[in-house]
Amino acid sequence: MLIPRKVKHRKQHHPGRSGQATGGTKVSFGEFGIQAMTPAYVTNRQIEAARIAMTRHIKRGGKVWINIYPDRPLTKKPAETRMGSGKGSPEWWVANVKPGRVLFELSGVDETIAREALTRAIHKLPLKARIIKREEGDA
Amino acid sequence: MSDDNKLVAEARTQFGKGAARKIRAAGKIPAVIYGHGTEPQHVTLPGHEVALIIRKANAILDLDISGKSQLALVKDVQKDPVRQIIEHLDLIVVRKGEKVIVDIPVHLEGESAPGTSVNLDATTISIEVEATHIPERVVVSIEGLEEGTHITAAEVELPSGSTLVSDPELLVVGITGEVAADLGEEEESAGETEGAAEDAAAEESAE
Repeated sequence: MLIPRKVKHRKQHHPGRSGQATGGTKVSFGEFGIQAMTPAYVTNRQIEAARIAMTRHIKRGGKVWINIYPDRPLTKKPAETRMGSGKGSPEWWVANVKPGRVLFELSGVDETIAREALTRAIHKLPLKARIIKREEGDA
Repeated sequence: MSDDNKLVAEARTQFGKGAARKIRAAGKIPAVIYGHGTEPQHVTLPGHEVALIIRKANAILDLDISGKSQLALVKDVQKDPVRQIIEHLDLIVVRKGEKVIVDIPVHLEGESAPGTSVNLDATTISIEVEATHIPERVVVSIEGLEEGTHITAAEVELPSGSTLVSDPELLVVGITGEVAADLGEEEESAGETEGAAEDAAAEESAE
């Protein structure tokens, strides 16, 4: 599971969810990728589940890249607690994903296998996403 | 370069995001042409035709700007990552017979030996070539290559009339043995990691 080794602040404000991704919007390493179409907080568990779904389908041969990292902590107050008494304790580690961001990349497998593997990975993610292919024409 | 790349460009007189949005709403693309010490020219190009042409890397456009012919190489494409709309083009002036440095996509052909994995480390290589004869791609054959084989930029067969600009030692393709993928069956190790993170967080709070 992806977790930061050391953080400067344990409890942070919620990451901003407005706007589009300004970087990491193209397939840079592999041949196919998953591109987010809606904003979401993707937890480290979801990233791991998506990775496992993908690697189990491709079985052998392919290579997977994870382009996002869950570096933002989200906190939660315990159940049946009155408001106040400070901020809750860290509960999840999330990656703040904005529309356009390429989350995973894949290479080394046939297009049909790659598309099926990426579809399975998308099912594990809390956002709408599409599969994109590397483009030659982007100068 | 084929005749299909002929386009009629209209000179632009209005600038700014308002004018650019109106151009895009009309199905056209705002663009700028510069290079060779000339004054930058702001033009409008037909959207659909340009989108078809620039699907190929390093497209050369034969522009007709108010009756004057001008060759231009696509230098940069600004695209909306979600809607995939071309927002703006940067074109660089080229002349017939002139040599330009461009990044050519590397295309793999064939299949490596069984039980090996192919890593395409450099997806493009830089070459110097005549502007009107830019190849679409460089083909690298990996047919039957064994584990541990490395193909560097110097070993890639370039099209005639082109010279390599990239570092000759640049690794283009590497053939490795298949690495067993972590299928995440070890539940215990995941729990351990979580524990480690909590420890790390506690450590941080102590600091």
